[in-house]
Amino acid sequence: MDALATVAFFLGVIAYSAASTLFFLDLARQNVPTGRSAWGPRVLGVAALLHAVHVSVASLILNRCPVESLHFGLSFSALVAVAAFLVLRRLRNLDAVGVIVAPAALTFLVAAQFVGVEVSSDLGISRPLLVLHVTANVLGVGLFVVAGAAGLLFLLQERRLQRKRAGALGTRLPSLDALDSATHRLLLTGFPLLTFGVVTGALFSRQLEISSGAALARTLFGFLTWAVLAAVLVLRRVAGMRGRRAAYGTLAGVLCVLLVVLVYAVRPGGHGS
Amino acid sequence: MITVVGLSHKSAPIEVREQFALPADRVPDLLSRLVARPEVGEALLVSTCNRVELVAAARAGAPLEAVAHAGREVLAALAPAAPSDALYALTGGAAVKHLFAVASSLASLVLGEPQILGQVKDAYELARKTGTVGAVLHRTLSRALHTAKLVRSHTAIGSGQVSVPSVAAELARRIFGDLRGHSVLLVGSGEMAETVARLLQSSGARLVVVGRTPEKVAALAAAVGGEARAWSELTATLGEVDVIITSTSAPTAIIELEHVKQAQKKRRGRSQFYIDLAVPRDVSPKVQGRDGVFLYNIDDLSQVVSESLKTRGREAALAQEIIDAEVRSFDRWAGAEQATPLIVALRERIRTALGVELGRSLKGRLRHLGQPEREALDTMLDAAVNRLLHLPTTRLRESAVLAELDAPSLSDLTLAIEHVFALDEDAGDAELTLSEPRASETPSALARSDAGELEVPRHQVMEK
Repeated sequence: MDALATVAFFLGVIAYSAASTLFFLDLARQNVPTGRSAWGPRVLGVAALLHAVHVSVASLILNRCPVESLHFGLSFSALVAVAAFLVLRRLRNLDAVGVIVAPAALTFLVAAQFVGVEVSSDLGISRPLLVLHVTANVLGVGLFVVAGAAGLLFLLQERRLQRKRAGALGTRLPSLDALDSATHRLLLTGFPLLTFGVVTGALFSRQLEISSGAALARTLFGFLTWAVLAAVLVLRRVAGMRGRRAAYGTLAGVLCVLLVVLVYAVRPGGHGS
Repeated sequence: MITVVGLSHKSAPIEVREQFALPADRVPDLLSRLVARPEVGEALLVSTCNRVELVAAARAGAPLEAVAHAGREVLAALAPAAPSDALYALTGGAAVKHLFAVASSLASLVLGEPQILGQVKDAYELARKTGTVGAVLHRTLSRALHTAKLVRSHTAIGSGQVSVPSVAAELARRIFGDLRGHSVLLVGSGEMAETVARLLQSSGARLVVVGRTPEKVAALAAAVGGEARAWSELTATLGEVDVIITSTSAPTAIIELEHVKQAQKKRRGRSQFYIDLAVPRDVSPKVQGRDGVFLYNIDDLSQVVSESLKTRGREAALAQEIIDAEVRSFDRWAGAEQATPLIVALRERIRTALGVELGRSLKGRLRHLGQPEREALDTMLDAAVNRLLHLPTTRLRESAVLAELDAPSLSDLTLAIEHVFALDEDAGDAELTLSEPRASETPSALARSDAGELEVPRHQVMEK
């Protein structure tokens, strides 16, 4: 079992690396102006499958529910991001987003190895609520990673078009409308999950009477992330904020999400395995 | 090998080229007349708006120069008034290289344009139907098309769009993606503006036309299938549309920053693409750089076109390398082909001799054998001939391609083999006709064995 988890991990790393390379090469191809990637999504799908095998087997070996530790949580976020991307690319021809999602999934898979698998027991908080809290955050992080990727590509494409260079043609980047719409829908889907995660997180902090600096920073970053993404969504709805400013807002929110994850990962006692 | 005779945009102006224009229904007659000449074995005609070129192969023994001369005469007859030096002629490797470059769009007026590949294919198909294509042109065209595909897949020679209207339409797609459900406003008139509007409309966009003269607007709207609106509705209409194409003769800007701000407010931040084709400009340059607003004037669009062509120019060098490599490969094949008549003759001589001996045995000591056994013996002889001649065939082809100092040349070997096997003598005495060569051993079949992408009917493979 242990060997199977290890083999699946290394094969997953190789497959994610190959998918990242394929997406990059596909984006660099100038002679095919539009269209779908041939192999990148397939290899990414295989990588995600290996990744899922690794997580499932490793959690069985350790006898841990995958959503109870940050170690597996990170891995699951990457899987959610890949799944969201694979669905999105079919619906909206956004293959190029894979050039960011694939390396991000690889980073999450590898980074998870440096994060502890231990779960604090007897915290005095509701276990089902904790599972829901982590699940909501895992799903939210996965969706926001894809939203961030789409936002980043939006800014890249917008810059090329504003600069009026020949490079504005012949690129395999998706259209601005497609990227903007995808970013918005991902934010809309992820925001309720984030809200649930922030509210339950605040409840836990209060119950546990956490007063350490790191815990306070996590809570504050959680609220900040929620506020930034809420502002992006509200301003779009109320004032029609789209395009470049909305993309910058999305990126700021996603950066906050990643910072929360980072602060949580490097908390005292968070290292391990 | 082949010869190419003709003229193109590089060698002759349109006034001369148009004299050589030939309707497709007259091409078969021209080709038939050409191959009816004793020196011409095969021919096809590539005729586009930028070039008219005869591609021809010689009959066995005929010099390529004679074929080129025949091609000149036939083409010159099309345009008696054209200058005598209007036509160029290329022979041998230069002709092959030129044909590969033409198919790969390296010789086109717009470098990398994709239509030429289809035009060359059509030229081949027409000649094939006419019956003027044989093994040489089949192989040459097949390699030319293969080379063109290599160039397209390995270089960016065909990337991007290269005319102002097509660049504008492509940019609109970069902003909005699928244009269905989007709307386009055409302000003023002008050929280029109408072309852009039509391109966007053909992609599914709805068209609105605004102008100062109601009659002209109505006529233009009817012509392009759009909705006509009065000039006074321009500002209000701006807020409804995604793409705005302006081409008026107004001396100052007709769309100011304030108009665009109002439109954006009305559109709640949705992007707009302004295509300003007018000189002086119709859209204020202050609009430039606003979030969600993309403004391209005629200079911007021309710059994209020219930079796109520069990119193609850089890719042309890479494409030329691919063509050179393919021409070298083709030369090797053509060299090896020189050995084919000798190989065919040798194979026929040996198979015939063995067939005669087998026939005698089947009439004598082996007369008791049934039909299945006789057929098995016949098959065995074929296999024996193949095995026996495999190495000599390989060596002969190698001697045609590789000119090594210490190795005998193909001509030396040809003389020796012809002498040893008496190939130059008539071997057709009555006794030798007992066993006919099999279909797979005929010169036609050998030529077919080299077939590439294009299929050549058996009867059209010319014997050298």
